[in-house]
Amino acid sequence: MKWSQFFNTSIGKKLLVGATGLFLCSFIIVHLAGNFQLLYNDGGKAFNAYAAFMGHNEIIQLIAWGLKIAILLHAFIALQLTFRNRAARPVKYAVNPGNQTSSWFSRQMAIMGSILLIFIVIHLADFWWKFHFGEIPTQNYGGEEPLKDLYTVVQVAFKELWIVVLYVIGMIALSFHLIHGFKSAFQTFGLNHVKYNGLISFVGIWLFGILIPVGFAIIPVVIYFK
Amino acid sequence: MEHYNMNLTLKVWRQKNTDAQGKFETYPVSGISSEMSFLEMFDVLNEKLINEGKEPIAFDHDCREGICGACSMHINGRAHGPWAATTTCQLHMRAFKDGDTVTVEPWRAASFPVVKDLTVDRGAFDRIIEAGGYVSVNTGNAQDANSILVPKDQSDEAFAAAACIGCGACVAACKNSSAMLFVSAKVSQLALLPQGQPERKSRALNMIAQMDKEMFGSCTNTGACEAECPKEISLTNIARLNREFISAGFTYEK
Repeated sequence: MKWSQFFNTSIGKKLLVGATGLFLCSFIIVHLAGNFQLLYNDGGKAFNAYAAFMGHNEIIQLIAWGLKIAILLHAFIALQLTFRNRAARPVKYAVNPGNQTSSWFSRQMAIMGSILLIFIVIHLADFWWKFHFGEIPTQNYGGEEPLKDLYTVVQVAFKELWIVVLYVIGMIALSFHLIHGFKSAFQTFGLNHVKYNGLISFVGIWLFGILIPVGFAIIPVVIYFK
Repeated sequence: MEHYNMNLTLKVWRQKNTDAQGKFETYPVSGISSEMSFLEMFDVLNEKLINEGKEPIAFDHDCREGICGACSMHINGRAHGPWAATTTCQLHMRAFKDGDTVTVEPWRAASFPVVKDLTVDRGAFDRIIEAGGYVSVNTGNAQDANSILVPKDQSDEAFAAAACIGCGACVAACKNSSAMLFVSAKVSQLALLPQGQPERKSRALNMIAQMDKEMFGSCTNTGACEAECPKEISLTNIARLNREFISAGFTYEK
């Protein structure tokens, strides 16, 4: 079987979805750690320096473009599989088992993923686009050059209630998506072992499904009420 | 358990043939014994329909002892009804109460076209087996026991996978109509044994290629198949199939 054929099979496509998904999981840990600097009361000194580094370091930029490709690939292949899966049952059942045979989260992957994709587009337009291509104020913290003040842009944005609500909805979608998604990727890679299943499931549900999305969601909420 | 009689309302899918538009018909059935099997209840209803000069309901059945996998009925939203690890013929009417309404549908999947009423064509499974679910050897006489060593754990796992009766409940239960549990059982039972080794790689690749060609959906690891499987085939088989497919895809030279 040629590589082109291999990655065109249902399992081959799922491998790509799983691999890009886990890559994005690793990214959100770094992203959250950086975001916590938004909660410092230092007028943005730490966060803006961090943003300037992330925005200009060549290796980080290379990974950042890799992330965007991963998001597009993940979404495109997953949607392709979803449409195929829907077509595999042209006549629906009149009665469905609901949660008796599978978890609710496991059945909402496409919906939650789609909400996330929309969220990511809005999120990138809000901050990433503005930071790189838009007009934003600068601040001088005593360095050689003034830094772009992304800190203030974020603080202003999160004073708007609807933006805060949007971000919380986005993080609920992230939570529900990863509660099933993280462990599902391991099963797709064939990594199912009685000694590790408990750990994989625990990390998927508690770290990626709950702790990280709650960490992200706390930031706009705290800024709104500050 | 105490014996009782019940009256039920059945909503059954009626469809003249593959191309016809199907619809639900409602049938009252009375005096059903709690000791009857679900299929026997259908026999009672069909006799009544025949006596009234109506067309009986077509449904698949063969052994009626839970090993042939023919009795494909989706009952109240559950493949083979509400009991775990049970085929429809082994489902007894004591699973229901007097006055219940029971909805009976055929397996719903593009790959399993309805032949008539509750009967579906599961030929897609046969074609997947034809693509590699066998061992090409001259059988000859049986060998001496222990001339090929098989570890006990491995033989138990192979046996558990070989318990698959190809009933299609996994496809019926899956929201994607995926056949992964079936294919994983058929690949596993041979991948775990010495006799399956020579064709191990081509088997995994060819059976998955055929599965995709039959337009089954892809697996999203919801676990509904395992929950509904009458032979309790484990999801670990799907992980093994993924490993078999990945290692074959990365190393098979053809």
